[in-house]
Amino acid sequence: MITAKDLTKKFDSFTALNALNCKIPEGCIYGMVGSNGAGKSTLLRLVSGIYKADGGSVEIDGENVYDNPKIKGRLVFVPDELYFLPRASLLRMAKLYSSIYERFSYDRFKELTAAFRLDPNANIGTFSKGMKRQAATILALSCKADYILFDETFDGLDPVMRNLVKNLLYNDVMERNATAVITSHSLRELEDTCDQLSLLHKGGIIFESDIGNLKTSLFKVQVAFEGEYDRSRFEGIEMLSFVKHGSVASIIIRGDREETTAKIKAMQPILFEILPLSLEEVFVYEMGALGYEFSDVLKQEVE
Amino acid sequence: MFAIDKLSRTPIYEQLIDQFELCILSGDIGPEGQLPSVRYLSQTLSVNPNTLQRAYAEIERRGLCYTVPGNGRYIAKDALIKLREAAESKTSEFEELVSELKGKGVKMETLVGIVNRVYSGEGKVIAE
Repeated sequence: MITAKDLTKKFDSFTALNALNCKIPEGCIYGMVGSNGAGKSTLLRLVSGIYKADGGSVEIDGENVYDNPKIKGRLVFVPDELYFLPRASLLRMAKLYSSIYERFSYDRFKELTAAFRLDPNANIGTFSKGMKRQAATILALSCKADYILFDETFDGLDPVMRNLVKNLLYNDVMERNATAVITSHSLRELEDTCDQLSLLHKGGIIFESDIGNLKTSLFKVQVAFEGEYDRSRFEGIEMLSFVKHGSVASIIIRGDREETTAKIKAMQPILFEILPLSLEEVFVYEMGALGYEFSDVLKQEVE
Repeated sequence: MFAIDKLSRTPIYEQLIDQFELCILSGDIGPEGQLPSVRYLSQTLSVNPNTLQRAYAEIERRGLCYTVPGNGRYIAKDALIKLREAAESKTSEFEELVSELKGKGVKMETLVGIVNRVYSGEGKVIAE
């Protein structure tokens, strides 16, 4: 379990994380989204013990991470800016990793280098950007760590590799109850992969939820009645949005689907249709309800 | 046997439940038949194992399957009956639709023809 309590990190006058609180349970694949500068990478660097917190604490299984080699040996982090020893080959890096990580698996390392079609003896410095990212992913997944942190890792891999990495991740979650934290700019990507999702904005988590609940408790209904009607007709149903075009109303509803269906059907509509929402739409409405404008949060700040 | 559409708007969790039900209804896995393990499905479908676990928990809650600890999951004896009963309750919707079509002047022979065609196995079968 990763626990952050009132976690604060400042860079000069800029507050990257502002009293952030979160809990990431074991065996969970946790996704984080947010605009540039929201604090995603800072949070990962604090969790992996690279930065020292300016306030609050971050703990893994109840122990502080910073300056704690025992805990650090159980986590692996693929940062957005990669580092390899100068002129090192993948094999040389594997040697380094295996000296740090007790459970480092050469079998898996071999399997992965073959799958990614990378030459373990070649100088990593000669690799392309995407290949470097693959190299870092191979090393990280070979460590068999309990906590795997990926900073925008999927964004640099092609779809085939992405599926391969995902399957390995799933395997680790099943086999060792490993925990993964992934950041990405693609909601679509995280929607398929993660089971928990949080949205960061200006150094804090403004929204956190179980993906299953998120997508099943919110849905869109299209309905029409004979004669005139307005929103007051739907009293007792929690509506996040109500838009009427002509005689057809599109309503975003939060609640139990079957219950709501029964309620609306009892009103004898001439048209009734339920549409599931995409995760992006869910975010738009949930955040609207919180008083944030989704487009503002995900929009990259342009100076 | 299972097919997940990752581009669909329907959540994967719900797609899984639908697929399980379809599997039971079509007789692909009979009563007391063993369901594939979470491990197997996660790797073949590339689906988060926690999502699979949750889908299995839901169909178990609905009484469609049961778990033998350390052994696996099996389809309940009365799973098919339960699903059929649920389907029966949909006939009232069908009746509504028929009366609506009748009101709009669709001839009875047309509707009976459709029913006959579906039951004789011709025409398109709409799997929902």
